[in-house]
Amino acid sequence: MKKAQPWVGLLARLILGGVLLVAGYLKAFTPDKSMMAVRAYDVLPIWLANILGIILPWLEIGAGLLLIIGVAVRYAAIFGAALMVVFIIAISQAWARGLSIDCGCFGGGGTIDPSKTRYLEEILRDTGLAVLGFYLLRYPVTKFAVEKNKSHELVQGE
Amino acid sequence: MSSKAPKGSDNTTRNLVIGMVVLVVAVGAIFSVLSNKENTSASLPSSVSKADGYGIVFNGDLTGVPVVDIWEDFQCPVCARFEQTNSAYLEKIIEEKKAKVVFHTLSFLGPESALSANAAACAADENKFLGFHKAFYGNQPAENSGAVTVDYLVSLGQSLGITSDKYKSCVANLDYKEWVNNVAASGSEKNINSTPTVLVNGKEIRRATSNTDLGDYFDPAAFAKAVEGK
Repeated sequence: MKKAQPWVGLLARLILGGVLLVAGYLKAFTPDKSMMAVRAYDVLPIWLANILGIILPWLEIGAGLLLIIGVAVRYAAIFGAALMVVFIIAISQAWARGLSIDCGCFGGGGTIDPSKTRYLEEILRDTGLAVLGFYLLRYPVTKFAVEKNKSHELVQGE
Repeated sequence: MSSKAPKGSDNTTRNLVIGMVVLVVAVGAIFSVLSNKENTSASLPSSVSKADGYGIVFNGDLTGVPVVDIWEDFQCPVCARFEQTNSAYLEKIIEEKKAKVVFHTLSFLGPESALSANAAACAADENKFLGFHKAFYGNQPAENSGAVTVDYLVSLGQSLGITSDKYKSCVANLDYKEWVNNVAASGSEKNINSTPTVLVNGKEIRRATSNTDLGDYFDPAAFAKAVEGK
């Protein structure tokens, strides 16, 4: 188990980082759609939803890059995990309130046909990704990370 | 945060990587925010005003009539369905001056949406917006398939009798690109979260809830009723 841990960590970094990078990239260049997706959750004031819709994809790209390269892994992992928890809460409230929206996670988003909502799948996927983030927070030392020096991390590694 | 670690080179690499990532994020986000802002000095097609959310207005001078705001994207298939369901009625109420109708051409589906919206504005300058609208949706190309090009839009205009060089250059040079952005910014401010979204006197008409309940959008009689408030 101890031997496998850095490899599991590498996999976690690549999956969480890859998903964040792709998700951010798919949204960053269609800001109108991304803003629409955030507004459709009907949680934030419109102006704030619009700003978040523009900026969030870039933050996802940033966190994804850090995870893949393997620098400041703990910071990027906690950011990714927290983001997933926020998404789970946002999707759940939309589901509970009977809104018909696409999560807009990978582009798309906005109000959609009620038969096309996929809340459960979206929540399960984000839960899995959050678990990866928390795993990396606990075990930040992984294979093929550019940064080998643990002392910069939030808490001293094992 | 400060480190007593002796590994200086690792530190440098780390800081370099973090710096580059932060730079990418900051530049991308700032550029996005700026390019999404309304440009108040944009050149506007005829019959457009900021007060009407930069939409193309018909019967803007009428008062005491219903105001119909249509938010759409030329590439959205459901918008084509709405157009085919209600265009005859919309043309009638515009012609008979029974309503003020405002078309807001959003462009969130992709560059071909923006190209089309720009061309529609060029057509509006030739008093052919409605014709363009109908002809485009009547033969709507698949979303982002590359079918909508300058040539495509110029020949679409020609089929409507628009032969001026002004139209051609307007389409080719994206003369109303800034205006297209302004329409999008206005839609964001007004919380338009899907297309088509149709408002009568500022209130959204009833959405379809299933295949059998068409709402006010896809049932011509229900739409007419929603507009006329009867």
